[in-house]
Amino acid sequence: MNGVALFAISYDPVEILRGFAATHGITYPLLSDDGSHAMHGLGLINDRVQEDHAVYGIKPNPRHVNLPYPGVFVLDRDGVITQKRFYESYRERDTGTGLIAQALGIVTESSAPVVATNGPVVTARAWLDSPTYVFFQRVVLTVEVSIAPGFHVYGEPAGDGLTPLSIEIDAIDGLEVGPARWPSPRRFTQPGFTDGLWVHEGIVRGTVPLTFAAAPGGGDHAVGVTVRYQACDDASCVVPSSMHLRVPVREAALVGRSLPSPTSKT
Amino acid sequence: MPLPPRDFNTIGPKEGQRFPDVSLSDQTGALVDLHEHRAGRPALVVFYRSAEW
Repeated sequence: MNGVALFAISYDPVEILRGFAATHGITYPLLSDDGSHAMHGLGLINDRVQEDHAVYGIKPNPRHVNLPYPGVFVLDRDGVITQKRFYESYRERDTGTGLIAQALGIVTESSAPVVATNGPVVTARAWLDSPTYVFFQRVVLTVEVSIAPGFHVYGEPAGDGLTPLSIEIDAIDGLEVGPARWPSPRRFTQPGFTDGLWVHEGIVRGTVPLTFAAAPGGGDHAVGVTVRYQACDDASCVVPSSMHLRVPVREAALVGRSLPSPTSKT
Repeated sequence: MPLPPRDFNTIGPKEGQRFPDVSLSDQTGALVDLHEHRAGRPALVVFYRSAEW
């Protein structure tokens, strides 16, 4: 991987990692924390595994002790932690592209297709941080809204009768949609609106985390995205408008791993 | 009944800290010092369950 060092740490003994690396052609370090001493030292051990498993009906198992919370640390060039992404569950995780983008401090458009459309005064482009998803992976949708010079669109909180910039994702079976995040809007004062208004101008990028939580075999999708907004200039407003985009994403096969199930011996 | 969510800010090393020194064996059995191996590059350090199950 260009310019980013990757380390993966588990409690597996070296022999297990050797076999895994050979099978999957892995050349970056798979580090063996046999006995979980380093993970204990770092304070990353999930001491509630048994409790968690009981919730899901999984029987106690001696392999289920000394397990870390699943997650990723992003380190900068000085080795300082710039981001920490940890999850309750082993089934959720970010895409590789998304994590690398964070490590490098860049906004990626990834290798995923970018779709675009136009509405009154505003154009929108949208892409995912990965062209593919796997079961329970979190994929981030970015929607870039470009507002014509001299115009603004309303942000949150929007005044009475005004339509703020928003994203709505069409329902797909098993798709979990997280909260949309936008940059903070700018305060805009206008005669007649004593409280002021919150607006976006120029180019605004919003993100929405998407998790494909249906069972494997959910197949390829076109994620339907509706962008609603109301554009105004200093003198007048365009009627509330919406744009619709369809962002393609393919299901990638899970390679070489079986999913744990409540009935499996592990 | 799901368990209450953890506050991951309180678990493990914190953002803004230097990642602690860690030396562990890799898949070839060689001892790898994480920061030395990084050699000034940014890094991703992934913690996962197991390569075996």
